[in-house]
Amino acid sequence: MQTFPKTKTELSECASYFQVTGAHLYTVLHRTTAPVARVLLVGPFASERQNSYLPWVRWARHLAARNIEVLRFDYRGVGESLGLFEDMTFKDWHADLQFLTDWFASRTPALPLILHGLEMGALLAAKSFDSDLGDALLLWSPPANANLALRSTLLRWVGLEQLLTPGAERRSASDYILQLEQGDSVEVEGYSWSPRLWRDSFLWELPFSDGQEDAASGRGRVKIVKLPKEAAPLVKGGFVGYDEVKSFDWLFEKDAEWIKAQAFTCVESQR
Amino acid sequence: MKQSIEGRELITLDCFGTVVRGTYHRSPDANTDASEQGRVGVLFLNSLSLPRAATGDSAVYWAESIAESGYPSFRVDLPGLGDSDGTLPLELLSFINAGGFGGPTSDNVRELVERFNLSGVILAGHCAGIVSAVFAAENCPQCRGLVLMDPYFHLPQAVRPKLRQALSDWALHSTMGRIASNVYDQLRELYSRLRGSRPPSNANFALLRCWKKVASTGLPILLLKAPARKASGTKPRAGEFDYLNYVLKLAGRRSQVNVKFVDGTDHSFANKVGRSAIRQHTENWLKAHFPNAGQIDPLASCFRHETSTNEISVPTTSHT
Repeated sequence: MQTFPKTKTELSECASYFQVTGAHLYTVLHRTTAPVARVLLVGPFASERQNSYLPWVRWARHLAARNIEVLRFDYRGVGESLGLFEDMTFKDWHADLQFLTDWFASRTPALPLILHGLEMGALLAAKSFDSDLGDALLLWSPPANANLALRSTLLRWVGLEQLLTPGAERRSASDYILQLEQGDSVEVEGYSWSPRLWRDSFLWELPFSDGQEDAASGRGRVKIVKLPKEAAPLVKGGFVGYDEVKSFDWLFEKDAEWIKAQAFTCVESQR
Repeated sequence: MKQSIEGRELITLDCFGTVVRGTYHRSPDANTDASEQGRVGVLFLNSLSLPRAATGDSAVYWAESIAESGYPSFRVDLPGLGDSDGTLPLELLSFINAGGFGGPTSDNVRELVERFNLSGVILAGHCAGIVSAVFAAENCPQCRGLVLMDPYFHLPQAVRPKLRQALSDWALHSTMGRIASNVYDQLRELYSRLRGSRPPSNANFALLRCWKKVASTGLPILLLKAPARKASGTKPRAGEFDYLNYVLKLAGRRSQVNVKFVDGTDHSFANKVGRSAIRQHTENWLKAHFPNAGQIDPLASCFRHETSTNEISVPTTSHT
């Protein structure tokens, strides 16, 4: 099939489909020679994917360039993964994470595995870590619960919708929330949110709060970073077509070092 | 871990030495070796900095449904975007508006045609993606047509000045602001009448030149317009230059430009109404210009530039 010579980058980044029950997950493995650790990147909620994608990929490459093997993926029903978004639940997405963690951990069991979640992905990663997966946990801007992630996405979308809608026809965020609470789906930025997704979102909470992470987890290390506005579009905000290409070194350098330090501590403690 | 599953395959292209990654959606009759035997393919381009799935994964939906109707479809991340290699310039919008992705796009088309035995490729772009599509079509003999979703022909600013943003917010959220906004529109309308049919100084003149060159050859073009703030159908907001009317005139008598207005959606076309309208209009247009499930007579395509169809569709409002 491939008619052109493979370049070094092509070999080091491998995009594939990973089969799970009822769907195929899109994954990209960033390989590296002589890895010192592995990081599983757990991305944000569906609507945030398109905005955060470029810096998220750059972060994966930043880590791979520092001998850290990275796996990133799309949740089922989102992006390049298969499945119908409207049928999905947080439980499904958490199951995706569990499948991939198992697979990734089994590749090179001797290497420390760090889970790293962004926004909604931080909740899922924390939940997995809390159930004894991974050696360390890095969280970027985790909401206290998944409903807060959905709510902020809804608010941003309603703001944009109002730009187009004449005054009399405008609907507020509370109108849409009421619609969800009454059992009807709401279409937000091309994704159909089911009432079940909304209802369940209250149940997906961060298992520990900032500052209590070590005591709560009882093992390994946890770091929680609340990203500032300057981190847009990794967090909401910023200018599309401008902010994606700015430098994130101020964030990447520090947290890549933290990951390396966790990997070192983990290896030392196993000796 | 697989690169290929039912109906889809992950592909890489070599774009001037840079690895470009994408997804290939097979037509139902594709051979097992992925040969599409002379069919016309459809290549979806990134909209500004968005990954190849686009807003709400709408591009996945379009590519999948168009492939199912017999036109193999491809979604690639242009160099520096999505999963592809390459570094983007800091001024991404200016780079795209200057035709920076035109060369890489036509190189992708050439490789896709060669690799999948296609008779040609339709370039489908949304927003900034249309700029790359038009620039690419100029120097791409394998390009058989264009699908342009909510195009723009001016040079927008990537970052809006804070004062302008604040004024805009005020105009939107207060009664006085709305009145002031309407007065402002009327003044602009007056100025626009005085100016005549000349495009404003912030028009993308390079793109307009390229459009004229491409459209006037008779290349089939489908132009899909979304509703805009304070605009009515395909007509722009009062005081704004009517680019659509201008480019249709610029295209000339031999052009084959079809314009469709899609109501009930927004700029992204990502909601159910928008994505289904885009699919339907595109499929109808493909069947009209490239019948027989995308297979075209290679001889007919040679004469594309000589045909004179004199078919400029009058902008119509078609609601799905």
